[in-house]
Amino acid sequence: MLTDLLQYLVNGLIVGALIALPALGLTLIFSVLGFVNFSVAAQLTAGGYAGWLANTTLKLSLVPVLIIAFLVAGALGVVTDRIALAPIRRKPSARTPLMVAVVSIALNMALENACRFSFGSGLNSFDMPIARDMKVGGIRIGLQQLHNLEIAIGLAVLLALFFSLTKLGKAMRAVADNVDLARLKGIEPVRLANLATFIGMGLAGVGGALLAIDTSVDPSTGSRLILLIFAGSVVGGLTSLPGAVAGALLMGVIGELGLLVLPPAYQSLTAFVAILITLLARPSGIFSGASGVRK
Amino acid sequence: MSNLARRTFLQAGLGVGGLMLSSSLSRSWAQQGDPIKIGLIIPLTGATSQFGATMAQAAKVAETEINAAGGVRGRPIQIVVEDDQSNPEAAVRAAHKLIDVDKVVAIGGSYASAVTSAIAPLCWDGKTVLLTSSGADSITKLPHDGYIFRTSPTVTLQGTSVGKYAVELGAKKMFFLGPQTPFAQSYIDIISGIFKAAGGTGSGLVYEDKKSSYRSEVDQALKESPDVIVLGGYVPDTSVVLKDLYRAGYSGKKIGFSFGINDALTKAVPAEVSEGAYSLVPSAAENSEAYKRLISKMKRPSLDSYSCQVYDHVVLTSLALARATSGQANGTAVRDNLRAISEGEGKRLDDAAEALKAVVVGGQVNYDGPSGPLEFADNGDVKGVFFRYEQIEGGKLVVRKVG
Amino acid sequence: MISYLVFAGTIAGFYALLSLGLVTAWGQGGLVNLGLVGFVGLGAYTSALLSGAGFPIWIDWIAAAVVSAAVGVALCFVVRNLRGDYLAIVTLGFAEILRLAETNEKWLTKGSDGISGIVAPLKSDLGESFPFFYLIMTWTLVGIVAFLLGCLLRSPFGRALRAVRDDEQIAAVAGKSVLRLKLQAFGIGAALSGLAGALYAHFTSYIAPDVFIVQLTIYIFLAVTVGGQTRLAGAVVGSIALVALLEASRFIAAAIPGLDAVQIASLREFAIALTLILVMQLRPEGAFRMTNERSGLSASRAASESCYGKRAIVDDAT
Repeated sequence: MLTDLLQYLVNGLIVGALIALPALGLTLIFSVLGFVNFSVAAQLTAGGYAGWLANTTLKLSLVPVLIIAFLVAGALGVVTDRIALAPIRRKPSARTPLMVAVVSIALNMALENACRFSFGSGLNSFDMPIARDMKVGGIRIGLQQLHNLEIAIGLAVLLALFFSLTKLGKAMRAVADNVDLARLKGIEPVRLANLATFIGMGLAGVGGALLAIDTSVDPSTGSRLILLIFAGSVVGGLTSLPGAVAGALLMGVIGELGLLVLPPAYQSLTAFVAILITLLARPSGIFSGASGVRK
Repeated sequence: MSNLARRTFLQAGLGVGGLMLSSSLSRSWAQQGDPIKIGLIIPLTGATSQFGATMAQAAKVAETEINAAGGVRGRPIQIVVEDDQSNPEAAVRAAHKLIDVDKVVAIGGSYASAVTSAIAPLCWDGKTVLLTSSGADSITKLPHDGYIFRTSPTVTLQGTSVGKYAVELGAKKMFFLGPQTPFAQSYIDIISGIFKAAGGTGSGLVYEDKKSSYRSEVDQALKESPDVIVLGGYVPDTSVVLKDLYRAGYSGKKIGFSFGINDALTKAVPAEVSEGAYSLVPSAAENSEAYKRLISKMKRPSLDSYSCQVYDHVVLTSLALARATSGQANGTAVRDNLRAISEGEGKRLDDAAEALKAVVVGGQVNYDGPSGPLEFADNGDVKGVFFRYEQIEGGKLVVRKVG
Repeated sequence: MISYLVFAGTIAGFYALLSLGLVTAWGQGGLVNLGLVGFVGLGAYTSALLSGAGFPIWIDWIAAAVVSAAVGVALCFVVRNLRGDYLAIVTLGFAEILRLAETNEKWLTKGSDGISGIVAPLKSDLGESFPFFYLIMTWTLVGIVAFLLGCLLRSPFGRALRAVRDDEQIAAVAGKSVLRLKLQAFGIGAALSGLAGALYAHFTSYIAPDVFIVQLTIYIFLAVTVGGQTRLAGAVVGSIALVALLEASRFIAAAIPGLDAVQIASLREFAIALTLILVMQLRPEGAFRMTNERSGLSASRAASESCYGKRAIVDDAT
């Protein structure tokens, strides 16, 4: 029983690691721009495709593949944000951020179908060997998947350092706190918004490439996971970067532990109940007070 | 700005109106030489869209062959494709368009069971034949008045065949892993029953689809130390399960269905992961040339069963209309003549063009297509289908036996 | 062609009912219900199951609305303290759970096989004219609902609701029962979703869990946003525009040569999404802009919205 528990815990961390990076991206964009950008799902998919193309046609290895996924998803994220969402944000009548969020759903739909138009509906596998799991004291551990976890935590720490130590990072927090103040200080909000979108979508792209290496990539890769990503981000407080990683891991762990008490076909139920309990106990998310970008 | 927007709205509205007007005009001019339209409702976008592309290609091949052979009573056939968006609500809208606007004589494709069940009432109400590749047993139990023909063997029959084949391969302990579908639990029961009768054991687990990892499910399965795992899922989830089985070091047999283990899957996972997995594919008899001819025309090494079925949907409709003595091209004529060209004592032909030419000169024909011999029971279920047992070898599907 | 237009018009009527519910809960009440489709399913299953048990159709429909409203109010009560973004994820998850239950509880719902043969009112009596009857009935219902909602939203209730939407704290200080207003608005939205689900079920005679997927929620949000999220007329116009777009795009996408079937299908969905983005850019306030609708509480703040749009966002979080 204890072995089971530990095994499911490990499995949950692995699942959580897969959604941690996109959740981090979603949180970052929300922190600076103030709306939930659902097109993070499409950028995750785009990162997956970029990585897949880099790997299968250019025969690149893991690290360059991830860098390409980051750059492609980040650049695509900024361009589409500028074209599709920024004009709506700028209108004084764009009364609620939810309106921009709704349009980002339309943007996501457009991008997903652009992927389908270009690559078809099939699933595409990377040309990378899959490692068998290791057994450590009766617990099965996937080394490749642990890498995902390391990368997610590493990037979260890097971001946290960036926001607390560098001038640019502090400026981004200033924007998040007060636009007018930022402008008084001579910080151009648009450039910072672009930077946040670039990094956020880039993270989603890296997450997408890692996910695609782990499973495969198809036009709906991102959309299948957006609920879970959003949930992880929400549980983490929506504005806390470490919170996003922790929230994603928590969603993964709770989902897998739920298998111990619920039929597997009802697995999402545990995730939902977890969100509900978390939010009822702390209406602003678990990590709302933690460090990182705050409003 | 608002004026511009209003103008855009108006223009869009006029465009739509104009389009509808022109299509209704062209229909009133319909003459003898106008094409006979055959609708296709297939999954091109959304969760079940893995076969949509090849289904459309296969239908196109059939259209070209029939038209090259002179068409149906001097009229060419025309395929009208609509996307079901993997959603029954969208499929209902698509079916209305095909039946009401295009006046199709038959609708083919129709893959997901929920999509088929949703559009079936429209078809029998609109006296349009529905040729489906769905497997759910419930479909032919609908009061369809003979308008439904199902070219896929029922899921029950497929489950039984998989169970028997697994026993034949020498397996003793079966574990079923599949998503929640109408047939998941009955698969566990049927296949476990077959194993128990053969002195083995069987159990299973029903999981939630759309997940990006099935590690814990795989752990639960491996606890039973099975020597064969039956994969009851579709391509997206089966590919993840296979990878997790590989990571877990599972070395027993894997066997699945053509909707899960197929061409699309071999592209979704590395060769070492899918190596050795078996698949059960409904098919034509072993000596049939139809399948080989179709894949060579499509320039593919192999083709999933569903695309073969869609090809046959188009051919069956065309042959039935060619035989219709009333000379009318409508759904009822397709229904009333379909059995006459696909079963019975007539000459067995597996080439669409050849069969069409024979039907036109009044010959008795029994058409056997790439998807099977195409004989139908009274309720519209296909009978006497053969199964191709395929195995993945170095990332390619290889036929092990036909039976 | 006529029967196709009649059918599309009926579907637009269902969408209009959903949109009216969303305008009430979201546009007027500020409550984000991303689980809209869950309540549609709830209504559809309630009505189909009751009808299968032999209850007359009008009872089934009322029950569908009542059950959806009751579940909606209960959910809204449980999550009463959550702010907008969190309400969105909770309702989204809730709809997913309902879909799971519909898929797994086969004893009740027949699982993913779905329920077939749901009877339609007067279908055998009316024969050929049944689709016209259903079209007129649906739109009559839309008209009645829109009229009643119009009265309601112009009443003190409507003003109080908008006050809650614009600033809960000030509304509470002004003596409004914030919780009750929220529950009522959410309940009305859920009831209309349930009713639309029931109408859909009896019209097409078949429902399955896969019918009630998030795509429909997205469509309705887009319809309402395009129409003008606070306006009842916008909901109706947005729904008609949406169905026109969904259906017209079939004919246009298919006319482009040189593409394969998957490309045509993806181009169609791409065009739908793109149109909605463009409409939002040209008319971000929707076809019907918000007029004299402000509660007066947020006028000063809304006026000072910066070009960056950030301010609107900060407002929402207060």
